[in-house]
Amino acid sequence: MITESKPVVTATMTLDGREVTYTEGETIYEVARRANIEVPTLCYDPRLEPFGACRLCIVEVEGGRNPVASCTTPAVAGMVVHTQTEAVEKHRRTLLELVASENPEENINPLRGYASQELNQLLEKHDVQPGRFQGKHSGTSNKDDNPFILRDYNHCISCYRCVRVCAEQEGDHAITMMNRGFEKQITAEFDIRLKESACTFCGQCVQTCPTGALGDRKAMRAEAQKEDFKKTRSVCPYCGVGCQVDLLSKEDRLVGIQPAMDGPANEGALCIKGQFAFDFVQHEDRLSKPLVRGEDGKLHEVDWDTALDRAAEGFKKVRQQHGNHAIYGVASGRAPSEASYTMQKFIRAGFGTNQIDNCSRA
Amino acid sequence: MNDRATDRVLIDQWREEPAPLLPLLHAFQERDGWLTEDVLRAVSADLNIPLAELFGTVTFYHHFSQEPPGRELPRVCDGPVCRFQGAPNLIEKLNAKPMPCAGRCDGPVPVLQSDEVLTGTSFDQLKTNPSPLPPPNPGAIEECVFAHIREPGRATLKGYRETGGYDCLKRVLAETPEHLVSVITESRLAGRGGAGFSTGKKWAMVAKAPGQPKTIVCNADEGEPGCFKDRVLLNYDPHAILEGMILAAYATGASRGFIYLRYEYPEAQAVLEHAVAEALDAGFLGQSICGKAGFDFDIFVRRGAGAYICGEEGSLLNSLEGKHPFPRNRPPFPVTNGFEDLPTAVNNVETFAAVPPIVNHGADWYQSLGSGDHAGTKVVSLSGDIQCPGNYEVPIGLPLKTLLYDWAGGPREGQSIQAVSMAGLSGGFLGGGDLDEVTLDEPSVRSRGSFLGAAGIIVFDERRNMVDVAKNAMAFFAEESCGKCFPCRIGTERLTERLNGSALFNDSDSWHEEVADIEKTMMATSACGLGVAAPNITRSLQKYFPEQIAAHLK
Ligand SMILES: Cc1cc2nc3c(=O)[nH]c(=O)nc-3n(C[C@H](O)[C@H](O)[C@H](O)COP(=O)(O)O)c2cc1C
Ligand code: SF4
Ligand code: SF4
Ligand code: SF4
Ligand code: FES
Repeated sequence: MITESKPVVTATMTLDGREVTYTEGETIYEVARRANIEVPTLCYDPRLEPFGACRLCIVEVEGGRNPVASCTTPAVAGMVVHTQTEAVEKHRRTLLELVASENPEENINPLRGYASQELNQLLEKHDVQPGRFQGKHSGTSNKDDNPFILRDYNHCISCYRCVRVCAEQEGDHAITMMNRGFEKQITAEFDIRLKESACTFCGQCVQTCPTGALGDRKAMRAEAQKEDFKKTRSVCPYCGVGCQVDLLSKEDRLVGIQPAMDGPANEGALCIKGQFAFDFVQHEDRLSKPLVRGEDGKLHEVDWDTALDRAAEGFKKVRQQHGNHAIYGVASGRAPSEASYTMQKFIRAGFGTNQIDNCSRA
Repeated sequence: MNDRATDRVLIDQWREEPAPLLPLLHAFQERDGWLTEDVLRAVSADLNIPLAELFGTVTFYHHFSQEPPGRELPRVCDGPVCRFQGAPNLIEKLNAKPMPCAGRCDGPVPVLQSDEVLTGTSFDQLKTNPSPLPPPNPGAIEECVFAHIREPGRATLKGYRETGGYDCLKRVLAETPEHLVSVITESRLAGRGGAGFSTGKKWAMVAKAPGQPKTIVCNADEGEPGCFKDRVLLNYDPHAILEGMILAAYATGASRGFIYLRYEYPEAQAVLEHAVAEALDAGFLGQSICGKAGFDFDIFVRRGAGAYICGEEGSLLNSLEGKHPFPRNRPPFPVTNGFEDLPTAVNNVETFAAVPPIVNHGADWYQSLGSGDHAGTKVVSLSGDIQCPGNYEVPIGLPLKTLLYDWAGGPREGQSIQAVSMAGLSGGFLGGGDLDEVTLDEPSVRSRGSFLGAAGIIVFDERRNMVDVAKNAMAFFAEESCGKCFPCRIGTERLTERLNGSALFNDSDSWHEEVADIEKTMMATSACGLGVAAPNITRSLQKYFPEQIAAHLK
């Protein structure tokens, strides 16, 4: 089938008095971001389809009766847009005061998740008057005892980023919104726990949540430690995809992992292993010295030379007794390419057999 | 009870049909009484809808239930009119679930049980009563959509054909679609569902938009409290609606049509399905309509499941498609990206019903039905504290006073009119001198900060506490807010609380300040008409009844 490729059309519009160029299909918000104009958002995540729920991103378009949500409105040639008028700023403050009134006011520990400070930072930045618009709170906590994801909907603002990231990025469609209006709740089907749902515990919902209503339970174990955490960019050691991560550490201990939103391979995504399975790093059972089995049948700590000699001896014995093809090598799926290459060289050149495999080829 | 084999039969019956989710869920609910987990699992698997998403969608609607007694549970209207006519008593007596206005405000309180509507003002009076016909119009003022509605047998093909029904099709099909569009445009027919967009222009856009197949959707969701005009057209003149849709299909090049009918009109579903079958039989629907090769058009009736927001066209289209019924972001509009992302004309029942008479009598005739410069007529659903409630087809521009006093007999014995609502509840209230001055056309009503919209007018006499009326109205909007956008989801809740008796938020200064800020932000930033319109309630309350607010804040 021949698909027509559309030519890229560019045009200009005016943003806060500046003439800017855009590509057809871009939204006003995207154009503004490129022009380094800051527009507040809460329901926006650049990886997801624009949704238009929070309405914080409203801007005035000359000739229009009402402001429009810039995240869902496509740029149009000749459009004259103002992003920070007095009226728009006032609406933003009211919207923030309304959303703040939905939930108890509380500081949220940043260990809960990558985006967990978004709401509180906006409240501060927009000089929001605390305690306005008092009334019923919208959330309820969800008693879900899984070890990974805290579901504290007392802080939920119904931005649906979690639902959308799960559907659009992870493709799991594990969660949904139940009911209508102020009664809306985020949940899985029949209100079951995540463990029984289609959830793969990838943690992406946690990391996009702008309030900390969803929290990273593993990282939260370190909340009691007062000092700030440090972020170190690294690569997930689990498989060949090469997802970039930020390792969260307090003093010399690894306390949590967050996906790198700008990681070229993962764009903020991780799987359950990369996201939550890091306890082995500091586990007391982790081997840090070579061990060999003695005459007594028990394992004993030895130096590397002794251990390697022992391994070589074993290989030799097998080869002498059963021949080259009695040897079969399986490289770890967690080994980097260089180590895997060396491993196959070792088996092929060293033993003259092609019996080399990798554990992650399932 | 849940037999996998019959699950399959039902699923196979619907899965290849257009817009299958709603009818399939209704079929299961009819079989089992409610939607069981097993059923939802089967539907999810076979219709390829993720289970969580399906669950969320099902919980959105009032009338899908997931537990007994489900369908059997009586629902009693507790809308703004019925609550003054014995609804609270009925709810208690029947142990019933309250439902928002069920579109029967011109008669006794409706009780919906399974597919039966009983009406009555008290328990022992409940029975099936025919849907009230429009009262006779006084003074022989010429009507458009009601001209023949009172004739017996009108709902059948035979009755409809007696006054020349479907006769214009042959003539129209001999001319170009553009010609038909231009007649409708020249008539100045504007959408009768509330927004008032030019019908001719809408059809021209759909005709021009690229993409096939195109779709015609008849919006029969009529969920606005105090609006029941579509009900009477659906019950008594279904063929006029079908003919209007067929003409729309020809004008736009559409080949499939849907009637999205609100759940609370089960008797209309039977009437419509019968009418569609008759029209199909007579060759007015289906392939090569009236022998015109290449003009194929089918109509499918789809029953909603109880959600006011599904009358909003984007939400309606999502609902038809089996998606979570949030309104859609606009642009793009349905005319280019409607049902299944293809060009779609969504029009109201009354709009379609006006089309055949316009085609028969001409654009000039329709225009001349209006008063003064105004073109055409509008059906007003009049209810509440008034002598003769009912649907009245008025010349656009008629003084409100004339309708209230000359046509409908004025207030009840010994009472006087304190306020009327506009656009059902969406337009808020009019009171004071405006009751004498306003005329029933958008420029006049809008100049008072309200709008005519779908023209539901509820009358409130001096006995009514307007703060209480406003609180119930706002509670309706809060209950029906889809919950997608922040200003509406939180704003409707906060305004309801501020109209409620609770003293918590009733410090006078901050009450006024907070209410004003919420109103402004809701009107300016809400994503659809529900959130934009809801503040009309509190704004008009403050405008006309400041002393009642002051008493409320004491
Ligand atoms: C909250 C809301 C509810 C609506 N409900 C209805 C309805 O019940 N029936 C209807 O025809 N239009 C309704 N509308 C208007 C529709 O979105 C749409 O404008 C209309 O169906 C177009 O038809 P028309 O041009 O013939 O009026 C509603 C709009 C909003 C915002
Ligand atoms: S952890 Fe991943 S799969 Fe589970 S709900 Fe969150 S986004 Fe969906
Ligand atoms: S849990 Fe978080 S991401 Fe999900 S809707 Fe609530 S606030 Fe948004
Ligand atoms: S205005 Fe209300 S009903 Fe409309 S999209 Fe927003 S929340 Fe939903
Ligand atoms: S970012 Fe546009 S509405 Fe939330």
